[in-house]
Amino acid sequence: MMTDKMERTVMSFSDEVTSRHGGETLTACYQCGTCASSCPVAKLDSSFNPREIIKLSLLGEKEEVLSGNAIWLCCSCFNCQERCPQKVEIADLIYALRNIALEAGHSPSIYSDFASALMNEGRVVSISKFVEKKREEYGLPPLRPVGMEALNKILSATGFTKPEKTEATK
Amino acid sequence: MKRYALFLGCTIPARQPNYELSARKTLAKLGVELVDLDNFTCCCPPPIQSINLESSQAVAAYNICLAEEAGLDIVALCNGCFESLAMANAALKKDKNLRAKINEILAEVGKEFKGTIEVKHFLQVLIDDIGVEAIKASVVKPLSTLKVAPFYGCHSLRPSELLQFDDPERPHILEDLIEALGAESIEYRDKLKCCGGLLRGVSDDLALDLAREKLVNTTKAGAECITTLCPFCFVALDIGQVQVKSKFNEVYDMPILHYSELLALALGVDPEELALRSHKVKTDMVLEKIA
Amino acid sequence: MEHPKIGVFLSDCGKQLSEILDFDAMTNFVKNVPNVTLIARDSEFWRGKGLQTIIDSIKDKKINRVVVAETLPKLSEVHIAETVENAGLNPYLVEVIDLKDHCAWPHRATPKEATEKAKAMLLAAIERAKLLEPIEKLEFPALKSALIIGGGIAGMQAAVDLTDLGFQVNLIEKQPFLGGLAARAGHFFPTDDCAICIQSPSSDVKTITHTSRKCVYRSGFSELPNLKILTNSRVVAVEGVPGNYTVTIEKKPRYVDESKCIACDKCTTVCPVEVPDEYNAKLKTRKAIYMNVPNVHPPVYVIDESVCRFHDCAKCVKVCPTNAIDLDQKPEQVTLNVGSVVVATGFREFDSSAIKEYHYDDYPDVITNLELARMIDGFGPTGGAIIRPSDGKPAKKIVFIQCVGSRDRRYNPYCSGICCMISLKHASLIKSAVPDADVSICYIDIRTTGREHEYYYERAREMGIKFVKGRPTEIYADTETGKLIVDVEDALLKRFLDLEADLVVLAPAMIPAEGTKELAEILGLELEADGFFKEYNAKLRPTETKLRGIFLCGGTTFPKDAPTASLHAHSAAMKTAKFLTSGKIVKDQRTAIVNEDYCGDCEFCPVTCPYGAISLEPTTEDHFVARVNDLLCEGCGVCVGTCPLNAIELRHSRPNQMWAQMNALMSINGTSKPLVLAICCQECGHTAVDSSGMAGMQYPANVRVMKVPCAGIVRVDQILGAFKAGAQAVMVVGCKSDGCHYEVGSDKAEKKIDLAKVLLKEYGIEPERLEMFKMVYIEGDKFAEAAQMMTERATKLGPLKLMVTEGGEI
Repeated sequence: MMTDKMERTVMSFSDEVTSRHGGETLTACYQCGTCASSCPVAKLDSSFNPREIIKLSLLGEKEEVLSGNAIWLCCSCFNCQERCPQKVEIADLIYALRNIALEAGHSPSIYSDFASALMNEGRVVSISKFVEKKREEYGLPPLRPVGMEALNKILSATGFTKPEKTEATK
Repeated sequence: MKRYALFLGCTIPARQPNYELSARKTLAKLGVELVDLDNFTCCCPPPIQSINLESSQAVAAYNICLAEEAGLDIVALCNGCFESLAMANAALKKDKNLRAKINEILAEVGKEFKGTIEVKHFLQVLIDDIGVEAIKASVVKPLSTLKVAPFYGCHSLRPSELLQFDDPERPHILEDLIEALGAESIEYRDKLKCCGGLLRGVSDDLALDLAREKLVNTTKAGAECITTLCPFCFVALDIGQVQVKSKFNEVYDMPILHYSELLALALGVDPEELALRSHKVKTDMVLEKIA
Repeated sequence: MEHPKIGVFLSDCGKQLSEILDFDAMTNFVKNVPNVTLIARDSEFWRGKGLQTIIDSIKDKKINRVVVAETLPKLSEVHIAETVENAGLNPYLVEVIDLKDHCAWPHRATPKEATEKAKAMLLAAIERAKLLEPIEKLEFPALKSALIIGGGIAGMQAAVDLTDLGFQVNLIEKQPFLGGLAARAGHFFPTDDCAICIQSPSSDVKTITHTSRKCVYRSGFSELPNLKILTNSRVVAVEGVPGNYTVTIEKKPRYVDESKCIACDKCTTVCPVEVPDEYNAKLKTRKAIYMNVPNVHPPVYVIDESVCRFHDCAKCVKVCPTNAIDLDQKPEQVTLNVGSVVVATGFREFDSSAIKEYHYDDYPDVITNLELARMIDGFGPTGGAIIRPSDGKPAKKIVFIQCVGSRDRRYNPYCSGICCMISLKHASLIKSAVPDADVSICYIDIRTTGREHEYYYERAREMGIKFVKGRPTEIYADTETGKLIVDVEDALLKRFLDLEADLVVLAPAMIPAEGTKELAEILGLELEADGFFKEYNAKLRPTETKLRGIFLCGGTTFPKDAPTASLHAHSAAMKTAKFLTSGKIVKDQRTAIVNEDYCGDCEFCPVTCPYGAISLEPTTEDHFVARVNDLLCEGCGVCVGTCPLNAIELRHSRPNQMWAQMNALMSINGTSKPLVLAICCQECGHTAVDSSGMAGMQYPANVRVMKVPCAGIVRVDQILGAFKAGAQAVMVVGCKSDGCHYEVGSDKAEKKIDLAKVLLKEYGIEPERLEMFKMVYIEGDKFAEAAQMMTERATKLGPLKLMVTEGGEI
């Protein structure tokens, strides 16, 4: 009974991740731990360990992975991906897990802000009128217009949705 | 004269006029023309990739198409922009299936990725198009006796297979460029380790721990300033230094300067024209050295 | 040749078959086929009374062709052919078909249809038999001598076996001394005795005391009769054919006369040139003139020509008591004539400097297992002391790192198999010698699969060796303490460790020996994707290659431990002996033959032949023509399938023979379903049909099977012709891609099917009527399924609409 249930969960979450952009190489991992010791964050915070995140994903612990804090703590330094002997795209995998988590409604609130800025202004960081004036003072050329229409078309064609602001995570 | 489409990204125009000023002025002096194209959007760096990786890749491809249409290679100043665009460029050039998928999306906005241009980092333009020797020869105010700790940041070097920027374990182009200015490049512990920049706003504690480590290690090695290639690294170590001071009660007095700023100073650009006042950690000590 | 007189012998298998097939109807049918002069029926024809009937018919000259419907043709036809030969008829004028597993059994539910199919099968056999020609047996000389390339364990073991069996053996070694890796390894697991000993070739040299094991050093190996040893030598060219190769060897000058050197060591005392000793992991120096210690063979010094000052110095020459040194020695070319070649080139350590974060290239205290072996060896540069190369101080804290470049998709994705045991061996030896040493092994998995290996692992743990499950990310040098720090996560503890070490030992991947690619080209051998020599089939035919007469043994096919290398060497020696023992190679002439008038010199066939059996030769008119070497040709017919001009044919599977069979099989239907032709390769495809029948699987009788040597022989025009002959669907059944018994045939056939489909479409014929299937012998169920599927397809698509031209041509 237990085995049946576990088998179904293992297959489905592992498959879910590997079918995602960035998650394709999940199953190549043989848990050597090179990523863990390459990780600057893991050395400082025991709640984040890339090897552990992969193991949990392989075992199908979907809830724990998606609703937990850990996947948001990756600093995207790519040291793990660089050194992995199995060429697992670990940093990309974390993006894929974040993508899934966001769709399921888990995310730090800052991502909501990023998304808003992107969809409204075409940039992750807003550029105020003040800043544009300052450019003139510095002798910098005025900023060119952003291709908003194309951007938003692409975002919608790829199913980009603004994450909800939730209580979750720091 | 070599021409490039300048990709500014978001953070630099919003927060770091110093990087943009020094980059434009130095490239102009060294004979590279920068073209500002219309319609560039955010490159979709890691924070956006975390929301939707496919969207990010498609938007990056869109930006590349704009340059392809203009017949220009792209130069990016920010590591994040470089990584996002260069990775997309390399991946789409290599993987036919991926390219087909992305082109389906781009077709909706009337674009097609052809794989005809290169995406380069500012540093690569200096090395490939100008060369260390030419830069050395152009120096009018050598930064002699200045001890500079090179900091590549993460996204110029890794993932090396796609970025092909420099040897990911033993890079040397930044050190060579520092020495070309007459300064001394300092080796320090964990030179290639992340500054924690992307954790700012997500986990400020971790971010500051990592920033502090870098400040400690560079100080221990005897560096007088740190040179960066990325606006995020800059913020992490510059504004971050102030925050480290309040959290840990430690003062480092380690000015942070983008390489382009050091280059500008060495090429004789008037410091007043470089918006150096925008630095939170004062750069006076560096200016004194070159006076 | 005389007019064909065909005898048809129908076996009813103890009347089993006649319960399903109407033997009277079949007999009556066959009676009316022209050229059939005798029909007989019995319970079995491959032995006993039935076989005598065949013998008598031949001797009485009533028949000169034999068609037998018999059980298990693949077994029975061998005996029948032998008997026919003894009776005075060429054994290739025999055609044996299987009415049981190919007809009665699979179609038992439709006996009338089965009988009609049986008629077609008999007609096909008869029509083919009419066109059969006698095939001669060819004999080629096989010199009773072998060349063994590589003087390590495997090479030496094979050499001893072959000389014991009376063959002349030439053993060549590129290094100045024999021994290979074993000479440097010191001790071998799991017994920890000396590496040289475990080789234990048992020679019968009378002057040696017969103890139970003799190591190479004590075995008088070099004194074996019939053994010629060439060190400092490499193979530069191999020409000729199996049984008679001409090998060109380049012998580098040793500068020391082997017959005069007494190994007194006076020369090294005066030599002014001192260089790092590579053999001893650069842990000490040696002179330009040197000898390895311990020595296997020859006990003669050698001069390193890259550093010697020659006549600008010549101090050694003056001091040598026997005038053995000759600085003017030149490279020598040696030509050998041998019957076969055995490749025993072994493997080497991967260059760990590629993994820059381990600093193998710039931290002197990071070494490899092979270098550590030199330290542990009592004869080695440190006299057995474990030291830090950087400052010579004793190493107390030692950390091993496994899988360096192994199981690594960036370098060598495979597991090298022996490194866990090597590290365990070294760790245990160190702990034995230095009980208070702090030894840790960082691993991903510990693999101790051989006999005694698990106890080895247990003992290591009992000795207090520590195990850290984790692959380190980086090695740091602590400039203050002078120690190394290994940054690793112990995954089981989920804890980050900074292991302090005096010495870090890397267990690198084992990769093919240097020069493997070049040697493969010289010999015409294939390499696997990982760069090792390709064995023909590791399960069925270990140590063989696709080329007759060339064998492989030892680590040259994949890293192995000493016992396995030894076994492998015995196997290769055995194969070589079998090949050469009769002094001749006998094979039948079922080989390809070129019609030189048609040959267009396009070079397709020489390139396609997997065995290099076809070469282009100049004719008198200053034009080239393809010629087939009967010794090298393996009779697959892939060249036939490739030739764009139909200029090459395969004896015993000639196009006219194939057309005759095809037309005959399609000439009688007798079922309500459309005819389907299945062209099956004799290796896998046809045997799958056999097994489907043996297992009693059912498929419809409209499926007619034709046997070919290899699916690669099938031509596009033959496929199209099959449709013209009456097939409503065509199946080609071959081996699986990586299991094709003729290397490339199956894949080539597939390409032709793809092309044929395009053409069919152009002709207005549905391409789905043609399909390729790949299966193995035990997949009879797949054959039955495929046969069923193609029948259904053809039925659904309806009768074929062939265009008829004004002249009535299809």
